[in-house]
Amino acid sequence: MKKVLIFDDNEELLELCTIILEEAGCKIKTSSNSDNADQQVIDYMPDIIFMDNWIPNISGIEATRIIKGNEATKHIPVIYFSANSHIKTLAKEAGADDFLAKPFDITDLENMVKKYT
Amino acid sequence: MKNCDAIIIGGSAGSLDVLLEVLPLIDNGIRFPIIIILHRMPGSDHLLSDLFASKARLTVKEIEEKEIIRNNIIYLAPSDYHLLIEKNHTFSLDHFEKVNYSRPSIDVAFQSAAEVYKNKLAGLLLSGANADGVAGLQFIKKMGGYVMIQDPKSATVSYMPAKAQMEVEVDMVLEPANIAAFINQLSKNKPS
Repeated sequence: MKKVLIFDDNEELLELCTIILEEAGCKIKTSSNSDNADQQVIDYMPDIIFMDNWIPNISGIEATRIIKGNEATKHIPVIYFSANSHIKTLAKEAGADDFLAKPFDITDLENMVKKYT
Repeated sequence: MKNCDAIIIGGSAGSLDVLLEVLPLIDNGIRFPIIIILHRMPGSDHLLSDLFASKARLTVKEIEEKEIIRNNIIYLAPSDYHLLIEKNHTFSLDHFEKVNYSRPSIDVAFQSAAEVYKNKLAGLLLSGANADGVAGLQFIKKMGGYVMIQDPKSATVSYMPAKAQMEVEVDMVLEPANIAAFINQLSKNKPS
């Protein structure tokens, strides 16, 4: 079973993503804050990470940089999502593997999981 | 109820699971619109309507300003706007201040719908943690409409339907498993 970790502070979005990806056969863990982001990743060791731009307490960009800078977690694909397409370049520079523009639909989400796992 | 021209459904915390259970069981060919108002944060509208559309047999649409209301469509109110029903059976979206700490407010939408559909409106209040929707149900009742609540015992968060049960003369208390069948029956009851 594919393991997915989603960082976002929008609890409704987390709930919807969980429903959708569980139905697609994934195991989901969600987090609404970026405290010790790399440790959260190590504790769960997902196959793919979705990272929102606005999460307490450090930004998604910084959290991505930390995850991609840690030897234990840097191999895990990070998909950055944001409603602001200007963030795309920053996300890439931080190490994000791909970008999902909000609003996205079910197919977009499922396709990212298929592509990277 | 013999002549339903619209069903309006309000929900808050705990209502998503109910709708995911109910919507797939509603018959395609329903002879009135189904209008849904949920308390939710901006940012997940598109994914929510996509999820409902993936489950429902009939078309699911996120409401747009000035859209004409049609039968056999599930309409979903967008976040951060109050939903109003106009006399010419179109939707209107308004950004005025929050009501019951909510935008969209269920009370605002219920009252607006009741003014238009009067005794041909059925209102249903689902699980939730605040009192939004109770005054709206009272107004639907006052205008001669039909008032339904999710059985508070079945609700993840019972406050909203329980408060409605205390303060409104409710016509029907429904378990989630019976909601779709009841809606289908309301459509069948409608004279040709």
